[in-house]
Amino acid sequence: MIICENVTKSYPMGRGRKHVLRGLDMVVRPGEHIGVLGRNGAGKTTMIKLIGGVEFPTSGKIRRGMSVSWPLGFSGGFQGSLTGYDNARFISRIYGVEYSKIREFVEDFSELGSHLKMPVKTYSSGMHARLAFALSIAIEFDCYLVDEIIMVGDQRFHDRCRIELFEKRADRALILASHSAAYMREFCSTALVIDGGLATPYEDIEEALEVYTHL
Amino acid sequence: MPELASGWQTQRRVIKALMTRELLTRFGRENIGFLWMMVEPLLFAGLVGFVWRWMHGPEVHGVSVFAFVATGYIPITLFRNILGRSIRVFSVNGSLMYHRQIKILDFILVRFFIELLGGMMAYLFMGVVLNALGEFPIPADFGKLLLGWVLYCWFSLSLVLVLAPLSEYSEVLEKLVPVTVYVMIPVSGTFTMVSWLTPDAQYAVLFSPFVHAMELMRDGVFGPVIEAKWDVSVPIAASLVLTLIGLGLCRRVRRDLVVE
Repeated sequence: MIICENVTKSYPMGRGRKHVLRGLDMVVRPGEHIGVLGRNGAGKTTMIKLIGGVEFPTSGKIRRGMSVSWPLGFSGGFQGSLTGYDNARFISRIYGVEYSKIREFVEDFSELGSHLKMPVKTYSSGMHARLAFALSIAIEFDCYLVDEIIMVGDQRFHDRCRIELFEKRADRALILASHSAAYMREFCSTALVIDGGLATPYEDIEEALEVYTHL
Repeated sequence: MPELASGWQTQRRVIKALMTRELLTRFGRENIGFLWMMVEPLLFAGLVGFVWRWMHGPEVHGVSVFAFVATGYIPITLFRNILGRSIRVFSVNGSLMYHRQIKILDFILVRFFIELLGGMMAYLFMGVVLNALGEFPIPADFGKLLLGWVLYCWFSLSLVLVLAPLSEYSEVLEKLVPVTVYVMIPVSGTFTMVSWLTPDAQYAVLFSPFVHAMELMRDGVFGPVIEAKWDVSVPIAASLVLTLIGLGLCRRVRRDLVVE
């Protein structure tokens, strides 16, 4: 379980502070798939970064009772100047997983071929997504944090994600930030709508989407 | 306790991985590779040694000019490099903060270990070569030499632990650091023994923890040929205080760090 208790986050802005989250309470249970909806700048990415431990909350507590992936998104997690293979090696080292095992899975899942020998900064968003998903699935987390990036994949990547993540690993939790109603319907069981720094949970995806479209 | 043990294991793994990565990105896999890290201090000490040889003749106060310059220059290069590499290290390496097991202290420790290794290798190499040329004595007291090194390095590290997080908060400080490091050379014990100075100057430089550690190192190398003045309690007290402040600042900077 992941428990967020009255989490707030603000950033310095001029002389004052910009309050992005004003008291987030939520619980993520094993196997639960939560979709996060909100307009640009509403705080979706911030929330995912806080849960992933990339940034620290200004106040409040986050307790992680299960292993949580790093946020899979458009930036972060990789060293741009290093190749895909070097990044895989580095990540296997810091997570204490044997490199040969990871390498095999990454080659197979990402289908990046010789691109893996090139610096990650030369990758397109789709390639970035494939590498990030391949690595995090190879390491095996209890909870996956996905920030938008799942949308940039092509059909084949989409299918592979469904098989590896949503079928073979259906017991894993997922927090998915996205603007796509189709992805929400397909991958998520409950939803959270963030607006004005507050997050409202919805048991029903359709209801959440309805609220979101009228924000 | 098992939690502590596994945390320790993780940190060792992370530091090893970060060191490999740092060595790879800085020195590459070609030619002499990571041995480059001892070239810079050696070049510095060697070239300044030649300048001094030309200006002051073969000996200063009864010790070889080359040996005296090298014993001073290699440690100060070490300090300057650790500091230089640690300024704004947290925001520059922000993308690594995506992995929770990488702690903010790891960044500084990794740079510290690399420079330490380079500096000590350079010192050893230089000692052996100069010794073969008859310019460097067999150290009179290895214990003092080693203790001097430890204190010098600890004080360097503790100072970096304070300055690195502060450089994230203040751009002015970031810009001032290189100048300050240059200006502090007279109070680093690099170029003179305390006993060569006037009583007033002696009183002043003995406030510097660097000076005590340096005198101790040179006492260990040259022995009674020189007159060394040191008191280990000065660098120990200063390092202890700065380490505690530094650890607090690092914690704070992690809380405030904005990662792209």
